[in-house]
Amino acid sequence: MKFIDPHIHVTSRTTDDYEAMAKAGVAAIIEPAFWLGQPRTHVGSFQDYFSSLVGFEKFRAAQFGIRHYCTIGLNSKEANNEALAEEVMEIMPLFLAKENVVAVGEIGFDDMTALEEKYLRIQLEMAKEVDLPVLIHTPHRNKKQGTYRSMDIIEEHEIPPHLVVIDHNNEETCEEVLRRGYWAAFTIYPKTKMGNERMVEVVKKYGPERIIVDSSADWGVSDPLAVPKTGNLMLERGVPEEHVELTCYKNALAAYGQSGQFEESDWLTPEPIDQRTLFEGNSVLRGGQDPRVDKPEDDRIIQ
Amino acid sequence: MSYTPVQLLENWILRQASDAGQAWLGSQREAVTTGDLKSLYMAFGFAPRKIGKADLELTERDLGDAAEARPGWMPHSWTIDQAARVLLLISLPSEDDAAFQASLEKLFQTAEIREQVCLYQALQLLPHQELFDDRLSEGIRTNIKSIFESIAHDNPLPMELMSEHAWNQMILKALFIGVALDPIEGLDRRVNPELARMLIDFAHERRAAKRPIPVELWRVAAPFADEIALEDMKALYASGELLEKSAIALALVATASDEADVILKTNPDIAKRAESGELTWREIAQQAY
Repeated sequence: MKFIDPHIHVTSRTTDDYEAMAKAGVAAIIEPAFWLGQPRTHVGSFQDYFSSLVGFEKFRAAQFGIRHYCTIGLNSKEANNEALAEEVMEIMPLFLAKENVVAVGEIGFDDMTALEEKYLRIQLEMAKEVDLPVLIHTPHRNKKQGTYRSMDIIEEHEIPPHLVVIDHNNEETCEEVLRRGYWAAFTIYPKTKMGNERMVEVVKKYGPERIIVDSSADWGVSDPLAVPKTGNLMLERGVPEEHVELTCYKNALAAYGQSGQFEESDWLTPEPIDQRTLFEGNSVLRGGQDPRVDKPEDDRIIQ
Repeated sequence: MSYTPVQLLENWILRQASDAGQAWLGSQREAVTTGDLKSLYMAFGFAPRKIGKADLELTERDLGDAAEARPGWMPHSWTIDQAARVLLLISLPSEDDAAFQASLEKLFQTAEIREQVCLYQALQLLPHQELFDDRLSEGIRTNIKSIFESIAHDNPLPMELMSEHAWNQMILKALFIGVALDPIEGLDRRVNPELARMLIDFAHERRAAKRPIPVELWRVAAPFADEIALEDMKALYASGELLEKSAIALALVATASDEADVILKTNPDIAKRAESGELTWREIAQQAY
């Protein structure tokens, strides 16, 4: 079975992770722009980070047979540095039109401050201007209020719910998110957001419509195989295969496909080798995935 | 009659783009002409979505027109969005060279891979090219092959602008990462003794590591071959694969020295094919990669 992980921060993962993800059936991933654990102090740090999301990381993922997409946005924590946030707003037009950008995100609330709300609203307007879906990050603390408030604001800006993914849901928030017509994403992240046994129960209870499973794996203790592991656990526990396909693949495709930049044919029928474009090198390295080709007879030897 | 690069790009887009795409490009170019950087940056990004990504369908005549409009311009692998992006860049006011350079640098700094390929190919048609020699040297430090090739291949700027140091690094790196030398413009014109020395050292490193020596290396090393290099070539000419022997023969024929003739006589069949023009570097490059 093929999987999409529509929320993973691979910038902080290793090539071993990529190899394991490809082996587990992950065909495409989306990397939302987020914070790096410590706050950035200069706009240049954002610029280089965004550049790596639209350029090098896409290239690196392709070398392991994984199609990489991203979302671009100013995250909620760093929206609280107003001077910096203004500069980030200025460089966002340089990035929103890049070819693998499938949404504005992840944006939303952390502490639910006035500045967080200000930059959420500005970025919602940008999403309208460039006709892209939106990925909403919901806060760890005061989650229910933060989630509902985000949806209220989106509705004030008259963005239709089918263009918005609300992420990091739990049993408490998902009913209202689904009722209002949004895509409801769930992060399978050890110990904090959602475990995959709980996820199985959510899918059994609410069905597969508009529910999306992701890993959010990042620089914290997290699991880049969370989506395939959850999909396989669903199958083991009697969730019908088509429901697994919807929640671990097709719903993400439908939601982010609305950008016009996220199409199944990208990974099912990759472009032919073309020396001008970026996958030329990849076509060589994809051969390297087969351990029978590249693995030395004796793995103590590094050739 | 001869055309300007702008006229050619416009004609090629006119032949292939939809009416909507052309209207979009027209209005964006108008905005960029006023110096509106936000329009440039957004339109540069959106070009493939608005105008498509098809290959430009160019005839031999189109390619001839291109070479006449800008010597060294070889757009045979250009795409329609690339043409549109270059027209947008040409529309940007350029009287203030520092401002022009700064605006373009902003694009370089934030470009994804396909955009970088386009920008490096675009420079040859833009004003103030001489301000971008450092940018070219920076570009060849990339670890992404397609970007490297956008500078090295079918691009007259390295030959025209690069310092000897940067040029030599580009040639050595091409061999190092498996990029063909034949499509590098000015390859035979900019050979130099320092480059030959670097390449012979590289050949020895490869031999020590029991790895094959890229066959095109001899084309650039031979014109300044010292005794050691000639010994290497002699040995390879006797024991190498057919492609290696063919490359050595071509390289030796081009040097036209007495030592070269002595070596060539040790395998007269291949020497004859090299002298008659039956063997070409283009074919050797095609077979090698």
